[in-house]
Amino acid sequence: MIREPPSFFHRGPSPLARLTFFTIAAIVLMIADHRFRALETVRLSLSVLAHPIQELAVVPSNAVGRVTDYFSSQERLLRENQELKVRVLEQSAAAQEARLLRAEQQHLLAMSPGKSRYADGGTLAEVLYTARNPFTRKVVIDKGLQAGVASGMPVIDGEGVVGQVTNVGTFTSEVTLVTEKDQSVPVMLVRNGLRAIAVGSGKDGSIDVPFMPVSADIQNGDTFVTSGIDGTYPPGLLVAQVTSVEKNTAYVFAKIVAKPAAGVQNHRYVMILPIPQPGAAPPETRAQESRPGKARGGARGRRDATR
Amino acid sequence: MRPADLTPVARDVLKLPAGVGLIFFSLLGAFLLQVLPWSGTWLLARPDFVLVVLLFWTIHEPRSIGQGIAFALGLLVDVSDSMLLGQHALAYVIAVFGAQVIRVRIMSFHVPEQTLHVMGLTFAASLVMLSLNLLLGADFPGLAFLVSPVLTALCWGPVSWLLYSAPVRRRREGAS
Repeated sequence: MIREPPSFFHRGPSPLARLTFFTIAAIVLMIADHRFRALETVRLSLSVLAHPIQELAVVPSNAVGRVTDYFSSQERLLRENQELKVRVLEQSAAAQEARLLRAEQQHLLAMSPGKSRYADGGTLAEVLYTARNPFTRKVVIDKGLQAGVASGMPVIDGEGVVGQVTNVGTFTSEVTLVTEKDQSVPVMLVRNGLRAIAVGSGKDGSIDVPFMPVSADIQNGDTFVTSGIDGTYPPGLLVAQVTSVEKNTAYVFAKIVAKPAAGVQNHRYVMILPIPQPGAAPPETRAQESRPGKARGGARGRRDATR
Repeated sequence: MRPADLTPVARDVLKLPAGVGLIFFSLLGAFLLQVLPWSGTWLLARPDFVLVVLLFWTIHEPRSIGQGIAFALGLLVDVSDSMLLGQHALAYVIAVFGAQVIRVRIMSFHVPEQTLHVMGLTFAASLVMLSLNLLLGADFPGLAFLVSPVLTALCWGPVSWLLYSAPVRRRREGAS
């Protein structure tokens, strides 16, 4: 077998020149991706390339999950079934009431022009895995462009808001969780209708509610639901429950910490809701530079104007 | 018959080049390990399998694997880990450059000393990524993040055994 003789003389640019070239290329890419989000097509095509390998990688854990499911005891299934039946009964009363209210609202809307602010339908999706990025809180779900998922759609589970779709691939998409740093959701206090913005703290299982005056009427155990004024989240979805209120008159704002209502880290199935209003402002994805309320302020202005 | 005792660098020149298939499938395997559904602290401490295989081939096959491949693989990892596009690319290119610079030096050592050298490179890659993310406003993810480069470097031994010693031994047995 004939092999090429080893090339003793090095050809091409020197390692240092290559390093300079690739460093500049990487920095340009990062700026284009972070500042201008100009690389979604590149990301999409590369993700199609990586998709089969990723599918292959989740096969073992999925198989283990299936086998465990198969051998899970009957007792556990019966208990789960019982719990679910109780929950259905509990919720059916509320659902009937909601149906009535919705019919009333539709009658009212028919009299005044404007679109329904409540979401119709939704797409069920399965959570594939947690995005392997230690700096952010995201999960990857098994529905993408093919299922009509679009960037900005809110995602909920049985208990409340999980997050928002921030990146859509062909077969999968990424959901940024509400606990992600600077991921903000416009909320309303159920008890007194006080409006606020819930901002992810970047820690698991906690959400901050900044910029609330010390005098604001907020207590431990209060629940926040989406207010719907952003035109992205339909109103009335449970977001979080207040766990600590720290009012120190030395500061202008109270320090309010809430616990997300949805099982943000440990759900398997989620529901993707359509955006109620067309042309709503797209969310700030991976928005480390976004100021809470900046983009939403504009959306709020439009919303109020249309009402 | 055993070959004459050559110095490691000289032996490197005379060594048969590794097959393209071996290089490709080792990188594919490393990528597969990297995209297993890691989460939580495991994710933070996850060894960077792609980086260690990349460094291995940079040092053992400098004519086939270099900064270009490192850049492309970095982009692929960025996309699959849903990170800012280009940060793994930058980290890998810098680590591979370091490997190219100290390549001859590394080749003259045995695996334990090589591991220490590689640890320097993996720490450089991790620090590049950490500083980029801190610069962009992320929080420090936790001390487990600094365990990852150590584990990555500790993968050097198994990787060397798997990709160097085993094929060389098989070839020798085939030749005799």
